[in-house]
Amino acid sequence: MSKTRHRYGAGCLEALGRRGFGSPQRFRADRVVRRPVRLLGHAALAAAIGASGAAPLAQEAAPRTIPEMWTAWCARCHGADGRGRVAEPTLTVQPRDFTDCRRATTEPDADWALATAKGGPAVGLSAQMPAFGAALTAAQIDGFVAHMRRFCTEPDWPDGNLNLPRPIFTEKAFPEDELVVTPMTTHGGGERHWTGVLTLEKRIGKRAQLEVTQPLESVVVDGRRSRGFGDLELGFKYVLNPRRHNHLAAAGIDVRTPTGSSSEGLGAGEARVEPYLATASAFGLTYVQSQVKLELPRNRPWADRVAVYRVSLGRDLSLTPRAWTVGLELTGENDALALVPQVRKGISPSGALAGAFGVSLPVNHSDEQGRTWVAYVLWEYLEPVFWRRR
Amino acid sequence: MVLGSDAPSSGGTIIGFVSTAERARPPVRVTTDRAVCGATVPDEGLIVDSNGRVANAVVTVVGVQARAPAEVLVSNERCRFVPHVAWIRPGGVVKVTNKDPGTVLHTTHAVTLDGKDLFNVALPIQNMVLTQSSGTRSGPLKLTCETHTWMRGWLFVSNELSAVTGADGTFRLEHVPAGAREVRVWHEELRSPTQKVVVEEGGTVSVTFTLRR
Repeated sequence: MSKTRHRYGAGCLEALGRRGFGSPQRFRADRVVRRPVRLLGHAALAAAIGASGAAPLAQEAAPRTIPEMWTAWCARCHGADGRGRVAEPTLTVQPRDFTDCRRATTEPDADWALATAKGGPAVGLSAQMPAFGAALTAAQIDGFVAHMRRFCTEPDWPDGNLNLPRPIFTEKAFPEDELVVTPMTTHGGGERHWTGVLTLEKRIGKRAQLEVTQPLESVVVDGRRSRGFGDLELGFKYVLNPRRHNHLAAAGIDVRTPTGSSSEGLGAGEARVEPYLATASAFGLTYVQSQVKLELPRNRPWADRVAVYRVSLGRDLSLTPRAWTVGLELTGENDALALVPQVRKGISPSGALAGAFGVSLPVNHSDEQGRTWVAYVLWEYLEPVFWRRR
Repeated sequence: MVLGSDAPSSGGTIIGFVSTAERARPPVRVTTDRAVCGATVPDEGLIVDSNGRVANAVVTVVGVQARAPAEVLVSNERCRFVPHVAWIRPGGVVKVTNKDPGTVLHTTHAVTLDGKDLFNVALPIQNMVLTQSSGTRSGPLKLTCETHTWMRGWLFVSNELSAVTGADGTFRLEHVPAGAREVRVWHEELRSPTQKVVVEEGGTVSVTFTLRR
């Protein structure tokens, strides 16, 4: 049986891959269209409210630069050092520690800008964080975000603005701490085949990620249905250019182990080594992600090689962690192409729980590829799913 | 609902006062921004004068609809919400402002009694005025400040004919449609049962409430 053409059974997962969408919406802060925030200058402010202007002395004492504003307005809850710990806390929740690079750098600037402007609930966090949007200009909010970024002093953490929404198949370049469940079903050869994939991704250090993937299959081979575990896969990914802020590239290698029974059609029957390159680019709310991979089976690596190439185009429809993202992937294996239109949405208010749904439509070799309906649910397990409110 | 004060020439009047045997509490110690807030602020949870008359209680005629105030200005002054209690209609305009110097950050955080956050806005600039909504639900809205945890204010959101007692504990409800009426009192800490009165056209009837825990 041709290993490459199967979109079901042993070929299903390996043919289509199981990469999925990642964290909530990610985009360059400087390209973001924000809600209008206005700072009336002191004179204009006094004029706007009418007669009872402020005493000049009070206005002169008001903070003017971002660091002064941080000290006067933010430090009392977030701390002068951004750690979120103060001597006499007035809050009942603990603000995020901005010096914790691991947690801070995964988030895009736009999430921090949104929380500053509209308050905690806008990003699924506590309402004890108030909205400052009416008191600050967009430039000042950007200034605050830049100020908060400086609390993480370690270099080489990849930029969270490139932590793009996870496509269904294309591998993300950004390393993740998340659990993904990907069910899919393919109709091919007159039969329906099912696969459920569990993927666990864990970041190691600043730039690396380990991954374990285990599929569960229900396939029909030669008229007989078999159910069971497919091939276990181990993966490693490493970000190549962590200091870039507009394009990210990662190199990785997956090793597929022949743990699934090949006689029952659940596994490929031999180990496979799969090196790949993945990229991520953000243009405002539009994202382009890509992956090129070479699948080399153990027995005849070059003769039976499979070239896999994927491009994903995605666009966020709004600015919140629960935004809808629409996407289109082009996936290819050797000469078999498929298009995968898809939608993705943050489920929980913080976006730590998200889901996607799409369908893989063959462009050519339709009989061999079949049409596949696929979805995923992902959980960023380091983030709170629901924030307890006061 | 029966229309109340929309027909100015009809109805009767309910007057009275709200009192309590409970004693006022000592002032609250200020823990931050003492230069602006002072060393202590009064405990506004119960404002009662030497005659036991209670301020900031809200007396309502049950089932009588009235034109509640459409807009209220809540001010942060010397680290207190002024007014402490205000009656406003659902969907009303709540303007919040900060009269204290810009070195003192106030936030005005409105929460329903069952814990739903309506808004939380920061007021870092002296005399800035922000506009919010009182929400669609009737009932008391609690106002707090994230930076000055002793601060408490209330918005009594209601379409029913209401009055907030002043410092002398008295209230006056006018243009109450004649007939048997129920009068209810709300206070942020104390309680009293609802009372029944009969209002006569052009007449005045008196009700007193004694608040207890």
